[in-house]
This record gives sequence, C-alpha cells and structure tokens, in this order.
Amino acid sequence: MPGISPSRSAPKSPARASRALWPLLWVAGLTVPAVLDSSWVSIAAMFAIYAVSALSEDVILGRGGMFDMGHAVYFGVGAYATAILNTSFGWPILATLPAAVLLAAAAGALLAGPLTRLRGDYLLVATIGFNSIFVLTMQNDPGGVTGGSDGITGIGVPSLFGFPLASQSAMFWLDWVVLGIVLLLMRNLDRSEFGRAQRYLKQDELAAGTLGVDARKVKTQAFALGAGLAGLAGTLFAVQLSTVSPASFVFTESVTLFAVVIVGGPGSVPGVLLGTALMFVVPQIFRDFAQYRYFVFGIAMIAVMVLRPQGLWPQRRRRA
Amino acid sequence: MIWKQTAGAASAFAVLTCAMLVGVATASAASPIRFGVQAPITGPYADEGQGIEKAVRLLAEQQNAKGGLLGRQIEVTVCDDEGKPSQAAICARQLVNAKVVAVIGSYTSGAALAAEPIYAAADVLQTSDGTSNKLSEQGFKTWFGNAAPNSAEAEFTANYLVNVRAFKRIAVLTDHSSFATGLADEVIKNIAAVHGNVVEKAFVNADSQNFTPVLTKLKSLNPDVLYYSGYFSDGGLIRAQMQQLGMDAAFVGGDANQNVSFAKIAGAAAGGSVIVNVPAPQDLPYPAAKQFVADYKAKYGALPPSVFTLTNADGMRAILEAIEATKGTEPAALENHLHHLVDFQGLTGTFAWNERGERTGSPFVAFEVQADGAYKILYPEPAK
Amino acid sequence: MGTFIQQVFNGLTVGGIYALIALGYTMVYGVMRLINFAHGDLCILGAFVGLTLLTGAAGSGHSGAVLLLAAFVLAVVVIAAAGVVLELVAYRPLRKADRLSAVVSALGASLLIENSIMLIWGPDVHVFPGDLLPATTWTVAGASITFVQVMIILASVLLMAALYLFIHHTRFGTAIRATAIDQDTARLMGIKVNRVILTVFVIGPALGAIGGLFVGIYYREAYFTMGWTYGLYAFIAAILGGIGNIPGAMLGGVLLGLFNAFAAGYISSSWQDAITFALLIAILLVRPTGLLGEPDAGKV
Repeated sequence: MPGISPSRSAPKSPARASRALWPLLWVAGLTVPAVLDSSWVSIAAMFAIYAVSALSEDVILGRGGMFDMGHAVYFGVGAYATAILNTSFGWPILATLPAAVLLAAAAGALLAGPLTRLRGDYLLVATIGFNSIFVLTMQNDPGGVTGGSDGITGIGVPSLFGFPLASQSAMFWLDWVVLGIVLLLMRNLDRSEFGRAQRYLKQDELAAGTLGVDARKVKTQAFALGAGLAGLAGTLFAVQLSTVSPASFVFTESVTLFAVVIVGGPGSVPGVLLGTALMFVVPQIFRDFAQYRYFVFGIAMIAVMVLRPQGLWPQRRRRA
Repeated sequence: MIWKQTAGAASAFAVLTCAMLVGVATASAASPIRFGVQAPITGPYADEGQGIEKAVRLLAEQQNAKGGLLGRQIEVTVCDDEGKPSQAAICARQLVNAKVVAVIGSYTSGAALAAEPIYAAADVLQTSDGTSNKLSEQGFKTWFGNAAPNSAEAEFTANYLVNVRAFKRIAVLTDHSSFATGLADEVIKNIAAVHGNVVEKAFVNADSQNFTPVLTKLKSLNPDVLYYSGYFSDGGLIRAQMQQLGMDAAFVGGDANQNVSFAKIAGAAAGGSVIVNVPAPQDLPYPAAKQFVADYKAKYGALPPSVFTLTNADGMRAILEAIEATKGTEPAALENHLHHLVDFQGLTGTFAWNERGERTGSPFVAFEVQADGAYKILYPEPAK
Repeated sequence: MGTFIQQVFNGLTVGGIYALIALGYTMVYGVMRLINFAHGDLCILGAFVGLTLLTGAAGSGHSGAVLLLAAFVLAVVVIAAAGVVLELVAYRPLRKADRLSAVVSALGASLLIENSIMLIWGPDVHVFPGDLLPATTWTVAGASITFVQVMIILASVLLMAALYLFIHHTRFGTAIRATAIDQDTARLMGIKVNRVILTVFVIGPALGAIGGLFVGIYYREAYFTMGWTYGLYAFIAAILGGIGNIPGAMLGGVLLGLFNAFAAGYISSSWQDAITFALLIAILLVRPTGLLGEPDAGKV
C-alpha cells in the first residue's frame, strides 16, 4: 500500500547515535544501587514503576487519542490482584504477575465496551466515574477480600529460582528489568500493524475506516494493552510497598498519569520517561521547599506547558 | 535535530543525577542525636502534619536549651508524606538514611502503615497517632502508637451509649477513611457485646459537605442518638444539618471531632453535642500540658490543631526519657525500656505501652460542647 | 412522603450549588473548549476572599445584608481579575497548541491556587459567621427548607436566566457565540476574539466566585483543598447536561444533586458516589453528548 511503509530509509548518523544511547542509559541505570543511597534507590524503583504505568497510559491517551483519566483503575486491579492472590491464596509473587496483567487487561477490555462509544471529554468523564466506582468498591470490601479502607498488608517478596529478592537493590533491578522489557515492547509497537492502525485512527477516524481499520477493535485493543501494562506496574507497586490501599489508586493519581503523558510528549517514549521524571522525581528534590513545594510545582507545570506546548520531547513527525 | 534533542535529554539526566548526589552529600556529618518527622506537610491533612512538625521542633529546641541530651544536640529532619502511602515509603527510606534514632508521625494510619516495615527493618523507633489495628497486629518491635487504640475508645463509647446514657436506638455514621471505618466497626462490635441496638450503619463522603440525604434517611429510622466516628470538619456540619432537618437525636462524636472548629462550624447547633476523647489540649488538667500548650502558643501564635499534636509530643518525650535512662541510642535497649515503661507522665495523661506497642491507660472522657464552644466533662463525673 | 420531599429539597439545594459553579465552567468551555480544572479552586478562593471581608468587618456596625453584598462584590472583582490573569499567563500562549496542553496548564493552575490559599490563609478549616442571614426555616409537607437554601436555588435560576439572555439576546452575546463556533471566522467578521475571550474569563470566574461564596455561607466552612471536589462535580454536571450548553449546566447540576440525594436516601449511603457515577455513565451511553448537547458530527 502506498504511503504506508514507515520512513526507515537510510537513517542519518545522529539518529543511529541516539538509538545506541538509550540502551546505554538503561544499562547505566542498573548501577544506581551501587552509586546512590537507598532512599534514591527506592525513588529510582518508584520511577521505573510509574514509568511503566505512564507508558501504559500513553498507549491509550497518547497513541490512541482517548482521554483516559481513570488509568489508576488498571494499576489498582494489578496491585490488588497480586496482593489478594499472595496474601489470601498463598501464590508466589511472580506467579501472580501474569494473573495481574490478564485481570487488568480484561478490566480494560470490558470497560472499553461502553467507553469506546463515547468521545473526547465525555469519555474522560466516564473514566473518572469508573475510577470513583473502583475506589469505592475497594473501600466497601465486597466479599471481605480487599481489606476495606485499610487495604492489604504483609505482601511477600518475590523470589527467583529460590533466591528471595528482598533487598531494595534487588527490587530495583526487578523493576528496572521490567521497564526495559516494556521499552522494547513500545519500540515494537511503533512498527506493528496495531501501532499503524492507531496512528491512522488518531489522525482521521473516517479516513481510517475507509482503509479497512476497525475502529472499535483497535480502541478496545488499546484499552486492553494499556490496562494490562498498568496491571504489570501494579504488581511491582504492591511488591515495592508490601501494602496496597484504596488511597493509592484515587482519581488524583490518574490525573497525574494523564499529566505525565501530556507534559512529556504524547506518543513519544523518551517524552513519557522525561515526563515521569518531572512529575515524580522533581517533587522529591523539591522537598526542601516544605509547604511551598506544590506551589512551586504548580508554577513549574504551567511554565513547562507554555514553553513546550507539544511536551518536553515531542513525538517525531511520522508519515502514517 | 534528533541529536540536539538527545543531547538535551542527556543533560537533563545529568542535572537529575547531580541533584541526587547533592541529596546524598547532605546526609553526612556527626555527633547530634537525630529525630525524624514523617508527616503530611502539604495536602488535605497539612494542618495536623504541620502541627506535629512544630511540636517536635519545640521539644527539640527546649531540650537543646537545657544543654541537649547526653551532652549531644538534637537535630530534626522532616519529610512530607502528603498522607499518601507511596510517599510514606520514600520518606521512611530517607529518614532511615538520615540516621535518625526515632521518627515521630505520621498523622494518618495509612501513611504510618506503609512506612512501618521499613523502620522495623532498619531498627528505627516509630511513634505515631495512627490507631488502625493493623499497625500493632504486625508485631513490629519498633512500633509505639501514641494515641490509644480504637478498641479502647470503642469499649468506652459503647458503655457510655448503652449503659450510661441508656440509648435504645443507635445510628452509627462514618466516612470511608481507614481510621473512621475502623473505629465505627469497633464501636458496633462493642455495642453488640453490651446488648445495645444499632439501627443503621451509614456512610458520608468526606469530600462533600452535603450530608442531608443520609441524615434524612437516618431521621426516618427514628434513632435516639447518632454516633459519628469521622473528623470534626464533617462532624460539625453533620450536627448543623441535623438541626436544619429538625432531627432531635442526640449527637455523640468520636475523638477526631475534638477540634476548636467543631463548635464554630456547628454554630447554634453545637451546644449539647458530646465528644469522646482524652480532653482537648487546652483543657488537659496536667501542669506539664498547660505549660506545653502555653509554650506552643507563644512560639507559633496559635493553639495546637488537635490533641494528636500532643500525643505525638508524648511519643517523643517518652523516647527522650528512654535515651536519658539507657544512656545511649541503642535501639534494642530503647525498645526494651519503652515496652516496660511504667506510669509515664504524659502531656495527655499517664500511660504505658504493652508488648505490641499499643498505648495503655488512656483516660477517655465524654465531654459536652457548651453553647460558647467550651467543653464540660460529663462522664466519668469529675471529682469535686 | 415528608422524607421524599425532604430528599428533593436536599438534592435541589446541592444541585443549585453545582449548577452555579457549572455555569462558569460551561461558559469557558463553550468558547475555549478548555476543561478549566482550576475553576473549582477559583471558586473557593472567592469564598476565602469574601470571608476575609466578612470577618474583617465584623463589629463594624453594618448590617448582615450590607456586609454580604460587599463580600460578593469583592469576591467577584478579585476572582474575575484572577481569571483574566490566568487566561493571559496560562491559557492564551497555548491557544494554538493541542488542547490537552491547556488542560495540563489548568491542572498546574489548580495546584498553584490551592496551595496559595494554604500559604495565605493557613491549612486549617475556616468558619463563616453564622448570623449573616435569617435562620428562618419553613416546613412544607413535613420537610424543612431554610432561607439560605431558597436563596441558593433562586440565585442559580436567576443567574442562569441572565446568562442565557446575555448570550442569546445581546450583540456581545452573539460575538461570544460566533467565537465559540469558529474563532478564525469570527475574527474575519470583525469580532475582536481576544476581547471576547477575556470577557468570558471575567464572567466565568465571577459566576464561580458567587458559587464559592454560597458554598461558604451555606455550609459555613472553607478549607484549601475544597475547590477540587466542587470543580470536579461542576464539570460532571456540565458534561451531563451537554458541555457548553447553559441550560444544560443547570439541568446537569440539579440532576447530579438529586441523584446523590436519592442514592444515599433510598439505595445505600456507602455506595452513594458509585451509584451516581453509574447513572451518569448510563445516561452518556444513551445520549453520548449529554442531555442537551448537540449531536456530535464525527470530529473530535
């Protein structure tokens, strides 16, 4: 089909250099536990977890163009799946991981049914509604499995070939490896048929329809994929904190994930990573501002958008 | 163009790394005894969190003015957990790295719970007003709750409602917070134990101000008392809206209703409301408490936001005393000392800790809010 | 029966408050297509500004009605000015950008305003004086309704009517509607688009200030994080009615208030919000652009 092959002819050398830089940066990240103290190791671990959930939000919001402001639901489904299967049913942590991903993906596909019938801001409000329903459900503790408002404590540590990954560094490496896998996945997504279909849809839904793209199917797939990846991040989150509670999955958390994608650059992997750093790591550095912290942060958010309206690192222009 | 962007990102990454290293560099130096504060300095609980920080700084300043502790100065490190579990875990690691002996806070049970295993693993003492049962159930020897557990308050409350006041139809109202639902459930359990009658358990949404729908529902059930386990800002409104709806049931509130603003928000409806708690900071009968409240007011120009400012101060005072008594900051010795504390003279009454780190011996009272906002103790009847 | 009528009054009052705040929300949205997440915080900032005047002038000998009027005027002026500053600094530079950029800028503004309130007035709960308005209560068929409640319902109806007339029956209103449909075409027809938008950012936040001050007077409390929830509910009300549509904001607000009341009163108070949101989503599935919204032509 003319015009569809992605422009991959003869990359110029700077582009190749940039491609080599990312694996290098990722490998450099592995040394964090060796050079930084443990509070920064846990911040780096949280960065990896939030980066995965922000990338998963990007699949729906940035690439899919659907205003999902309830993404904490899928993050929460994954975290609760791991917490419940581990503490009530005695599953090992790593065995809960596929279950968490599948359950979250199923939740995404299920909610996509009604959601994909809505557009723009109407979809946004419906996702806010689902977020609120999810949090209230966890608080009301149906069937006595979610622990109500207290949540669930005492989640175990993962073990690999009999070795418990109990130390902060070991957990960081687990998170970092998962982030690496998700980054590879995102790269392949760009080149896949699904990724192309998403780009057509975002640019012009009517025209995409005439090219044979099934809009409902692609949108549902985007929700399932984004939700599944968020569920993966949820498992890591539950393990990192060893406790889950409804407060971690409230609507304001969804708003933050939404803002990460827009601040970083929708559809751009390095952009979303930078956005995550800005929204999660910078507030940690701002601690010295004490009660002025979020006052300054609010100004910073406005300034970033005004100075970089397309995001910190916008998506490269692609020919669809 | 792409190259330029990459260079930009690399330099951003470098800046970030430098900032991390600065964070590391500041955590060295020697000799002082360090205390940590983990509290919500921003966000919805900022009022209480800032109160805890102020109380700890005041105690440290007073101790340092006396020449410090064991001849060493006291230093305070504060970390803002925003009342969120994920931030609490990060705070816990930061404070552990700052080599603190003990941490005061956090205000909310949820944030204290997320930090608890990290302090336990690092052998750092933790004293918080969190009252969720889960905090003491996990059996960490570093945990010292400085407010009485929900179970003690619930037992007192049930006895007061059923036996002292002889209410026949009790309606229980709570919000969705970890603290308030825990207290409400304990109260219901204890009411059943003394053969009382709960006609309904209902919920309010703490983010909202509109409680008339649920109150209208409760009114139709004709309760003779409404017990509310949540926070004062909502409790005062509930009291006002009961009057607005012509609901004549009595109002009894849990400990979080005790705040100077309760009476102001309830307005004309405030008089006659009953609150169960240890007495308010300014009403504590102990000389040390009066002195502390006066010092606090002199330094900060306002009263402590609630009695939890003082229970957290009590947690710190007990640890200061333990350091003095054990002549050192060895965690095991401190834990052993604190678990065997006898009749510690706290600002909020005489107390001790059991082996699970639960505060024992808290003199709960039921006091009535007067029309002018003052408190009058109803039960147990004050000795003349 | 008394209980049912009481629940209707309960729902109408809170619905009136949501409607008051939603009017400003939907007006800004209609022209700018901007979800102004800072709107709720502007409203509560208005409540704090009004409260400062009320407590500052307490004991000055003026009657409650005079003080209240002065508080409303001051709040409206200050918040309208804040709205204009917000538009010039945070939104105007983003007018040509992707509209989600402006949404994130609005989120930043929300944080900024909320934390400014905390820094200026402190993090504690502030209480409004209770003797500003008569404490009259009427009993209708076994249900009670107070003077303040009646005032809120009346004010929201009157302001909605005034806004509707202004938009649909004045020359300037026509300019606003033209700008809402297509800014470029409006400019070609000689409409000063920037002036129209500035005016919208005067009227919207001014209406919000009135709503915020009513919240303070009715519930008699204000604290710095309160704006977020009211902003969110007002946004939902506006969406429910069909965003950008003025009678829709009113209808959405009142329905949201009634849903809340009936959910808590007749189904389950522990699932109150879940029931409200489930109803909202169900309505959107039947009417994907809200109750009074124009059908979507296919472009997002």
